[in-house]
Amino acid sequence: MTVKELVDLFNLEIVAGPNLEKEIDGVYIGDLLSNVMARAEKDNLWLTVQGHQNVVAVALLVELSAVILVEDFEYEENSVQRACQKGVNLLKTKKKSYDLACKFCESEI
Amino acid sequence: MRELSLHILDIIENSRRAGSDLIKIKISEMPDEDLLKIVIEDNGSGISEEKLDKIDDPFITSRTTREVGLGISLFKSAAESCNGNLNIKSKIGEGTKVEANFDYNHIDRAPLGDITTTISNFIAANGEKVDIIYQHQYQDKSFNFDTREIKAELDDVSIQSRQIIGWLREYIGENLAEIRGGEAF
Repeated sequence: MTVKELVDLFNLEIVAGPNLEKEIDGVYIGDLLSNVMARAEKDNLWLTVQGHQNVVAVALLVELSAVILVEDFEYEENSVQRACQKGVNLLKTKKKSYDLACKFCESEI
Repeated sequence: MRELSLHILDIIENSRRAGSDLIKIKISEMPDEDLLKIVIEDNGSGISEEKLDKIDDPFITSRTTREVGLGISLFKSAAESCNGNLNIKSKIGEGTKVEANFDYNHIDRAPLGDITTTISNFIAANGEKVDIIYQHQYQDKSFNFDTREIKAELDDVSIQSRQIIGWLREYIGENLAEIRGGEAF
């Protein structure tokens, strides 16, 4: 599934979408950036409550397919600029990580 | 990072790569004042003013292997998420000083972690080339440690040798436990 298809299917909001044709492979959930760097895998979706620009750096480093900011948190302005420059997809939702992850699970993501 | 000692390791590794031969680490734990202060000072090559302006920008790095450098960025956000701050002062050719302040009792403050292992492992790998001054304060008690003083006692045994490192570990661990009222990390 591509990020674009995911957005349509789960009604996610696109905050930065420079690379929406990227394929998704798996999901990682976590808010401790060093742990995400160590444990998330290439093309994962990443569900988090962190919205600062370090998140974009981690997503770029691990080559994640998209970041999904949950619980209606907001990305910082410079995160959005950086994401557009570096080709990192930033999405958001009002849902909690667990609820969104359950929906992903039902769709076998 | 899950422990602040990992941030300290990251910073002293930067110091080592910048050619420092003396690194001073000062940790002050002041629970009654709700303050945890970590200061790391080196005599390495220093950072230019231009680079210092962008030091917490994760997309600026001195690394050439990748375009992202997160060390300082993560340490700074760790401090800021605990109502604290991180400041860096540096002069080319003189050295760099990193100071991080945390609210001691903030719920999001990571534990200090295994500082004994952090320091003894660093000495085990670099003790011959790089000297460490380590000062740890807990309220009104403090512990000071200086590898230059230890080397002076060692004659021709290397500070990186296994038995010396084993002894250092115990020495640091016991002294920390003592100033912290017997509480281990």
